Amino acid sequence: MSGKSSKLTAKSWRFVPAIAFVLAVGFVNSPSVGAVDATGPPMVDYQRDVQPILAQHCFSCHGATEQESGLRLDERSRLLEGGDWGEPAIVPGNSDASFLIRVVAGKEPDLQMPPEGEPLSAAQVDALRAWIDQGAVMPDEHEADHPQHWSLQPLSAVVPPEIDDPWIANPIDAFVLARLRAAGLEPSPRAAPRVLERRVSLTLHGLPPKGEVQPEKPSSHEALVDSLLASPRYGERWAQHWLDVIRWAETTGYETNSARPRAWPYRDWLIEALNRDLPYNQFIFEQLAGDTVGKDAATGFLVAGPANLPGQVGKDEESMRQARQDELDEVIRTVSGAFLGLTMGCARCHSHKFDPIAQRDYYSFQAIFAGIHYGERRMRGAENDRWTERAIEVKKQLDGALQSLESMRTNFGLLPALTPHQQVEKFEPIVADAVRMEIRESSNRGRATLYEFEVWSADQATSQNVALASQGARATASSFALENQSRHPDNLIDGLLQHDDRFPWIANTAGPAWIEIELGKTGVIDRIVWQRGSEFPVDYEIKVRSPAGDWRTVADTSRRMLHQEDTRPVEIVTLQGIDATGVESLVAQLARTRDLASDYDRLSAGPQVFAAVARAAEPSYRLKRGDPMQRLEEVEPDVPDVLGSLKVDPLADESERRVALARHLADPNNPLTARVMVNRIWQHHFGTGLVRTPSDLGKMGSDPSHPELLDWLAREFVRSGWSLKSLHRLILTSSTFCQSHEPRPAALAVDADCRLLWRFPPRRLEAEALRDSILQVSGKLNLESSGPGFDFFNQSGGLSDYVPKEEFDPAGWRRMVYAKKIRMQQVDVFGAFDCPDAGQMTAKRSRSITPVQALNLLNSTFVNRQAKFFAERVRSLAGDAPLEQATRAMELALGRTPTEEEARQLASLCEQHGLEQVGRVLFNTNEFVFLQ
Amino acid sequence: MISRRTFLTNTCDGLRGIALASLLAEGGLLASDEPLRPQIDQANPYAARPPMSVPRAKNVLMVFCSGALSQVDTFDYKPELIRYDGKPLPGNEKLTSFQGENGNLTRPLWPFRPRGECGKMVSDLVAQIGQHSDEICYLHSLTTKTNTHGPGENVMSTGFTFDGFPSMGSWISYALGTENQDLPSFVAIEDPRGMPQAGPNNWASGFLPAAFQGTPFSTTKPIRYLHPPGDGNAKSDAQARSVLNLLNQRHLEQFPGDQALAARIASYELAARMQLSIPEAADVTNESQHTLTLYGADSTNGNKAAFGRNCILARRLIERGVRFVQLFNGAYASGGNLNWDGHSKLKEQYDVHAEILDQPVAGLLADLKQRGLLESTLVVFCTEFGRMPMFQMGTYGRDHNPNGFTCWLAGAGVRAPFTYGATDEFGFKSTENVMTVHDFHATILHLLGLDHKRLTFYHNGIERRLTDVHGSVVREILA
Repeated sequence: MSGKSSKLTAKSWRFVPAIAFVLAVGFVNSPSVGAVDATGPPMVDYQRDVQPILAQHCFSCHGATEQESGLRLDERSRLLEGGDWGEPAIVPGNSDASFLIRVVAGKEPDLQMPPEGEPLSAAQVDALRAWIDQGAVMPDEHEADHPQHWSLQPLSAVVPPEIDDPWIANPIDAFVLARLRAAGLEPSPRAAPRVLERRVSLTLHGLPPKGEVQPEKPSSHEALVDSLLASPRYGERWAQHWLDVIRWAETTGYETNSARPRAWPYRDWLIEALNRDLPYNQFIFEQLAGDTVGKDAATGFLVAGPANLPGQVGKDEESMRQARQDELDEVIRTVSGAFLGLTMGCARCHSHKFDPIAQRDYYSFQAIFAGIHYGERRMRGAENDRWTERAIEVKKQLDGALQSLESMRTNFGLLPALTPHQQVEKFEPIVADAVRMEIRESSNRGRATLYEFEVWSADQATSQNVALASQGARATASSFALENQSRHPDNLIDGLLQHDDRFPWIANTAGPAWIEIELGKTGVIDRIVWQRGSEFPVDYEIKVRSPAGDWRTVADTSRRMLHQEDTRPVEIVTLQGIDATGVESLVAQLARTRDLASDYDRLSAGPQVFAAVARAAEPSYRLKRGDPMQRLEEVEPDVPDVLGSLKVDPLADESERRVALARHLADPNNPLTARVMVNRIWQHHFGTGLVRTPSDLGKMGSDPSHPELLDWLAREFVRSGWSLKSLHRLILTSSTFCQSHEPRPAALAVDADCRLLWRFPPRRLEAEALRDSILQVSGKLNLESSGPGFDFFNQSGGLSDYVPKEEFDPAGWRRMVYAKKIRMQQVDVFGAFDCPDAGQMTAKRSRSITPVQALNLLNSTFVNRQAKFFAERVRSLAGDAPLEQATRAMELALGRTPTEEEARQLASLCEQHGLEQVGRVLFNTNEFVFLQ
Repeated sequence: MISRRTFLTNTCDGLRGIALASLLAEGGLLASDEPLRPQIDQANPYAARPPMSVPRAKNVLMVFCSGALSQVDTFDYKPELIRYDGKPLPGNEKLTSFQGENGNLTRPLWPFRPRGECGKMVSDLVAQIGQHSDEICYLHSLTTKTNTHGPGENVMSTGFTFDGFPSMGSWISYALGTENQDLPSFVAIEDPRGMPQAGPNNWASGFLPAAFQGTPFSTTKPIRYLHPPGDGNAKSDAQARSVLNLLNQRHLEQFPGDQALAARIASYELAARMQLSIPEAADVTNESQHTLTLYGADSTNGNKAAFGRNCILARRLIERGVRFVQLFNGAYASGGNLNWDGHSKLKEQYDVHAEILDQPVAGLLADLKQRGLLESTLVVFCTEFGRMPMFQMGTYGRDHNPNGFTCWLAGAGVRAPFTYGATDEFGFKSTENVMTVHDFHATILHLLGLDHKRLTFYHNGIERRLTDVHGSVVREILA
């Protein structure tokens, strides 16, 4: 906690960064430390006495270029931070406690430094000792290497360059034009209206304009942008970009890859939030802490990443701790990558090598989410309220049903039903040397199973369970299952019930089974207690063997009322003294009650969503080298030092941590939040961000091509009330966006990547836009929105061997954003178009071009079927003449009339091989596949 | 030498052009280390590219035993384990591992005998592979980071426990391209019984461009969409392609200099060549009876015959210059019974699987050798982790053991016969020349002339490597 309490400067964003950094690591810059003390040993001078020793022996591995084990010795802050070893390299004023001294002086048993070559001489070690004991003073320039990185500096109040040029439609253009002219370039002329219409439609909707060629623009470009933004198709398209960033999927990932069948409400929340232009600060808040304002689905964001199910985690302490650390790491990656554009994951094992994120920061950040778990939770809202009302009604019916069951029981004179969790069978005291249970049926008609079988001695005061291996008892059974772990009858008498690392007895097959316990010594017993496994026996007999060797039945189920969980079909149920009609009525009433109970359980639990499940926060610790078994000091919830401080009370409710983080991120003075989002939006309009590394605005990321424009847009974004739609409008109505995409050799020679935006940079469409576009053109696109998704595979989760579906019905012709997202399974046909697998976060997709893509687009069942549907559509519009058909087909697919040569070629293809070949060709053209 | 900055402008991403241009366009500086990056021509991403240093091997054939093959029952001979059979593991009497409690030490379930000229002790379970011990460099001291199958396979295939990182085959394709432009550079051959635990993550390209992902196909599961669907005839296909080409050419004429447009046209030409070359390469029916017998591909055991045919396919692909072939033995479909995950009845389970594995892999080694392919091909035999020297409490099988297991290498550049590293006297933990999977990967890359520290790809703020931030080349095992 000392690191935080000494942080005097972190209250505001506008601090002097270098000083803050030094203070944050606890450097007491007292002048007396460095002053010459006449009575002490001679003062050591870092540069004269220390630096040469470190340079000779250490810097090659622990200096500016290499930091083996995360350790860097040429900066004081890093010396104090230490490396992966988990402790500071030096403790100023105490050389004995300094790790550096221990390893160079041979005092650390497993670690001798340098690992090879000459060890340090005694004089050199003494010099280092003296320097540390005198406070380890280092000259400032070693710290001054840390000018604050551009992205951590406050947004600058830039004014657009004053250029008087008719090309400039809004301030974006002024920034772009100034930069172009500085490079000796001019922008391109405005694109043709039909090109522009297609471009803006693909970028905002991921769909081409609807069909017909319109010689005249329907209205202005600005009006078109507004109408596209107002359409629900906009949210569906842009949700995908966000889902990519947070690697959202509807399965857990890893080997079981189990389905998360209730994850989809998050997708609906996201699409809806975008469509109603939820202000971005609110967008952040709801995803981090929506559960505090009734927006439960939004917190699906926090648990978007992969996480193993408990059953997939090893039973040893290390595996369990590791799994929890991995879960939280995914949360940290999601939050820091998505909102801050920082890669905090590196700091899990050691301080970040490039960005000012210490290992301690990582664990403080982790503490914010220490109460977060992956699971399903109630989703409040209108549906929930309806369910709650309905639950009250169903409860009444259920109570009635239970009452009639009870009166049936008394009428039939039956004993009370079994208590499945733990059944006690009492009987007259009897001398026994063995006990046996014969099971005919279990509740779900599966394999007989019990966790524990207890036999209690009859002496009232000192009654004890004598069916224990420790008491000399021995267990046998008709059979036992050998699954991954033995389900041996020994498990019945181990006296242990912990379900996490103990196992039940399970018979090898379904049907009748028996167990027998040979007691350690003969004695008087008067009751049996059995503890259920995954099911429980419903039809059984318990027998006791006397020392003489004869068996006597002491308990059975022949007069027991049936239990609600007993799902045996009526044909195999018999009850002593009750005729078939009686049993039938009982079983029927039981089934009714069971249905009502399950209905009631479902309704009273409310609609569920896979989202962040919050519990009390566990304590968080810094971990040595990220090893969950090596806890260092406890840490409190906070953001990285370099970003300031949350000041949250660790004793307050867990949610306050997340609320505080949300407020911190949405503070207009946070230097990263607006920059990161503005850059993402820019990227999806121009194909490349102003910063090319959209989830990394740190030192390893790229610098902005137009830093002033980025800051201006970021401020504008905040000023507009964090409105994403305003930002889109601003970008899309700029002359920069509306330029032609035609290449110019002279400009290509200067700026081939078009980073300066001398034209609109064309790019290949993403998988989703490509599939949706084909469907729109074929006339089959199903615009049903929201709700559970459709399947691309034969299963929506589970172990491998997913079989792709080849033929879809209208449900499968919905937009691809509504496909159930299976982690790590490439979608058939379109997956090859760089569709992210939701394994790692994808802030920017690659756009590779491969022969497999070509084969898929030419030969897949999907494309060829859609080509047939397209042919039908064209035929219905254009009649039977091939030339007419070819012309109409191209108009619908590409939004333009074919040239005479194109029309002739397509018509001839149509004549000889059918109209469906025309669609197949058009879906494969570069003009269709590129956004230009 | 290619600098990082030059590379950044040459990744397979978006429209490319003259590297210098974007150097001028952007002012920022990146970190000072200099990863070596392949120059990738977007129109020809599979073009063979030079390695960083003189390679010992040109291509890799990886046999992946999915499910965790027991080292103590196969290649890691432990006489003490026989002596201590039925006794608790000294010092670890109460060990809890992946599935819970362990029982007593259990001797290898098959006898070991000396094999080959070198006399390496290998068990009867894999006797035929053992016969090739003179060609094999055994690595007995491997360790990995996890005791769970999926993450374990991820580590072996990608270097990370997590999903979503590029597989070794992708890294190598990205670095080196391939020798045969008519075939994919990286082929993953699934077991005829189904997928391995980590599924396609074993051959995924992660954040590398999709061009470098493994193309999965086998003799039982052909590549999808190689040909037009059922009713498409060759003539209509030819004309459709010709019209498509015309439209694309006319379009390109309007936008000269847009490389991505040209690259897409080229990808259709490559696809057309693959339509011819893949069926040819995958057709094992013309192999001689002698070859079929050598691989066990004519066995009456259907699974063995199918795996044998997959081994022949692997050889045919290597012969034709495919850079990386990943051949799986073991499937997860039944939750562990169709692979090497011997928890409960190891003896019965392994007798079934070894019958499928042993002869085909031995045949593969023999065939590669007689065709001279071992001189340029590195054979990697691996599994995700090992198994305990004890039986699990109350079972006849062994639990997961990430602390000591065996893999082996053979072929180009590998010192053989040789044994490197050792586990303790029971085969429980690696004790001598302990090797991580990162070391294993670093060494494989080294044999291909690639420096594992410099083969990087920038992703989400990090210069990613196959070996994360670890690993060193194990020079002792180089020929």
